[in-house]
Amino acid sequence: MRTIMVIILISICLIVPVLAQQSDQYETAVRQKVRFAPLHIYLDTGNQALAAYQFELKATAGQVKIVGIENGEHPAFNEPPYYDPAALANDRIIIAAFSTDKNLPKGRTRITSIQLQIIGDADPEYEADLTVAADANGNEIPAKITLEKGEQK
Amino acid sequence: MKKKIFITSILLGLIGTTLIGYFITGCSSRQEDKSEPSSQVTDDSLKTRDEFLSQLMQEKENEKRSVSVITSQDKPDGVLNGESVSSVRSIAGEPYTTGPQSRESDLSNRRRGHDYSGMGITSDSTAERSRRTSSLAPIRKIQAGLAGQIYPVPQGQIPAELLNVSADEIWVIAKAETGGIVTDEDTPGSGAMLAKLPEEEKEIPLPLKHTDVKGQISGYIATVEVTQQFSNPYNEKIDAVYVFPLPQNAAVNEFIMIIGERKIRGIIRERQEAERIYREARNQGYVASLLTQERPNIFTQKVANIEPNKQIDVNIKYFNTLAYVDGWYEFVFPMVVGPRFNPAGYTDGVGAVAHGKTGISGQKTEVQYLKPGQRSGHDISLAVDIDAGLVIEDITCPSHVINNSTITPERRTVKLSSLDSIPNKDFVLRYKVAGKTVKSALVTHSDNRGGFFTLMLYPPENLSYLKRSPMEMIFVLDCSGSMHGKPIEKAKDAITRALKQLQPNDTFQVIRFSNNASQLGPNPLPATPENIRKGLKYVESLEGSGGTMMIEGIRAALDFPHDPERFRLVSFMTDGYIGNESEILAEIHNRLGASRIFSFGVGSSVNRYLLDRMAKLGKGAVAYIGLDESAVETIDLFYERISHPALADVAIDWGNLKVADVYPGRIPDLFVGRPVILTGRFEGKRNTTIRVTGKVGNLDQEIVIPVNLRDSGDTHTGIACVWARKKIETLANQAVYDNNSDITEQIKQVALEYGLMSSYTAFVAVDSSRQTAGEHGTTVPVPVPVPYGVRYDTTIQD
Repeated sequence: MRTIMVIILISICLIVPVLAQQSDQYETAVRQKVRFAPLHIYLDTGNQALAAYQFELKATAGQVKIVGIENGEHPAFNEPPYYDPAALANDRIIIAAFSTDKNLPKGRTRITSIQLQIIGDADPEYEADLTVAADANGNEIPAKITLEKGEQK
Repeated sequence: MKKKIFITSILLGLIGTTLIGYFITGCSSRQEDKSEPSSQVTDDSLKTRDEFLSQLMQEKENEKRSVSVITSQDKPDGVLNGESVSSVRSIAGEPYTTGPQSRESDLSNRRRGHDYSGMGITSDSTAERSRRTSSLAPIRKIQAGLAGQIYPVPQGQIPAELLNVSADEIWVIAKAETGGIVTDEDTPGSGAMLAKLPEEEKEIPLPLKHTDVKGQISGYIATVEVTQQFSNPYNEKIDAVYVFPLPQNAAVNEFIMIIGERKIRGIIRERQEAERIYREARNQGYVASLLTQERPNIFTQKVANIEPNKQIDVNIKYFNTLAYVDGWYEFVFPMVVGPRFNPAGYTDGVGAVAHGKTGISGQKTEVQYLKPGQRSGHDISLAVDIDAGLVIEDITCPSHVINNSTITPERRTVKLSSLDSIPNKDFVLRYKVAGKTVKSALVTHSDNRGGFFTLMLYPPENLSYLKRSPMEMIFVLDCSGSMHGKPIEKAKDAITRALKQLQPNDTFQVIRFSNNASQLGPNPLPATPENIRKGLKYVESLEGSGGTMMIEGIRAALDFPHDPERFRLVSFMTDGYIGNESEILAEIHNRLGASRIFSFGVGSSVNRYLLDRMAKLGKGAVAYIGLDESAVETIDLFYERISHPALADVAIDWGNLKVADVYPGRIPDLFVGRPVILTGRFEGKRNTTIRVTGKVGNLDQEIVIPVNLRDSGDTHTGIACVWARKKIETLANQAVYDNNSDITEQIKQVALEYGLMSSYTAFVAVDSSRQTAGEHGTTVPVPVPVPYGVRYDTTIQD
């Protein structure tokens, strides 16, 4: 009986640190798979001045979490755009902004950069759907939305 | 036998070693998760080193010598953790900068002399600096004496006092000799202290440099933007941690991290998820910030990886409804968290410790306080625009020196004087609008989520013509250490005044509590002149010392049998400096019975969350007595209020308005001079009439409120947030006495849907465009002054 007890106790003494170490290594491994990178969003309105926009973004491949929304490059959009928190709960984000500035951007401009947390090794893919772009009078204008990954290779 | 003992000893030794090994290896990662300063030092070595340092300090103190001891654990300083990126080139080849260091540096340099607020307030102009410098001259003398001789330490290193003891480096600067230094014990926190770099003899401010507050009041709703400027004056990266207050009813719905010209909007997430994201970003060297809520009025701001000489601002926006008290609207901005008392065995509280003493309180949240005579470089600017909609008749600020200018009769701009920029007490601004009474009014907002409203319901004017029934007045005085000095004197003034105003058919009782509770007599006494004299003498004898076992006071006040002939009114006089608020509120809920609670907050920076909730749960009202305000005046107003009956059994007929989710669900009694704010959701656009009915004794009363929903004048975009915040508050109140886990989920759901802070949600923002060099920064908690009028020695764990 005593021998069994001794064996059990020695086994515990040996196994517990190994398991703990493995658990630590696992956590480290999981942690290493998380990385951060921006996704830059551009809007091209040609000759028309951009005063307002709304678009929806979602990841079609890979696992990402939005961890920040940055302001645009043009002074008219120097405040970070708003997002709909209710939509965020459904793994997508709806982003919108407007400007009352007189000096509005034309042509291709970076309207925002989305700060992302990327989980896992997979290279994520994104889809952006421009809901509307409008001029200072509230009239819808034609525009093309493009995305550029800012992740360091 | 001896053999048995020998074997058992060996086995026990092995088990012990194994368990220690397990905790070191297995729990180290979890430990790191819980305590932000991600120490690479094991608990064992830390303990040993602590013991060694403590012993050394003791020896040195005994020898009456000053010495500095530096221990450090090397870390890969300057080694890049991943690729360091200073600029990013777009795929299309169009270059743009995403935050190069040089630009940030330029901007932060420019910002230093910039009119930051855009409202004429120069945050750090030369003139201001010069004025500040000259006003600090006498304080520097004190500082020199306090600091004693400071021995050379590496230039730009972070002083040990600011660090968590479990951080990568530990500095111990021995206690200086303080002989001959006189500190004004009655006005703690009013001095100045700036950390010094010994070799440079240059004053270095702490990580939080400045707070800028801009408020806009429209009707009775305030929109407030708070910008906290964090900077790193050291030559290594830091993570700043700042525990700060906001109004207890603030609906925090925006969070922006500002790095130079780049502004990154924070995202609302479930709290644990936000904390995970922040931790990952911090550990990988990204600049990140996290805002969490510890109490409805206490928040923690963390900013990770602030590089040397860089500045990172955090902008927080919230809405809140103003209180309307006895004809005055009141805007309050709290500036410092008061030191809380936590009962033995409680760990979910808010600890109050001396700066540099991280972790000694054993509480989940901890605030570090500066010693008397010390002051951080942190100051505050504040400006409020008021658009009352009615002519503003009078405006007053009992707490601070202000400058106010009239734009139109209905609009005023108020600015905090730069001479009064130490953030150590609540900013309280009151204004009175024209007209004898203000009418009940509905404010609405509609968007794609539907319609939202707030209704400020004023009691009918004719209540003031009716007289009250006999009272059973119970005065409960907080005699704990934090009340020592001015606060308890104010509270005693208030009770003295109240006792003198009792009517012959009233009865009264006086209860005191600190570590325990005791009272004037076993039962309430009739308000005879002799008994009142006895009561006055008893009150006069009371002093403040010891802990704040408020629960004892609650039990003593609510437990004895109720006299059915009298209306029992319990008045709590306290600063509310406790960390176990939920226990107190649950106790009130369980024991209230027929009593009504009127809570009086006494002090310069009281726990308004607790006092408001006590009054709400106690179906009474709350009032605040500032240290520079008249207690007599406040008590007179209180007596005026209770000298008339309240409108009870209030019911509302909403007419054609289809309403839902109205909070509070049960409409409280309406006291004279005390309106109630209701908020809810509605459908429809038709005009209607709202009828509010209630009873005063046996008399029926009615308030009629015409509503024109097509009138866009009575709208406010913040209403949806105010409604969601009120729903969260109602659910949180329910959680105090209801263990249903579904309440937590409901709170989380509302908070996430409306993008609001709560106990279960948090804002996180990460700048993923660039990794800073090296590992994460060293955690530097931001110490704060003890509130004005509060004694350091009776409240802070040192």
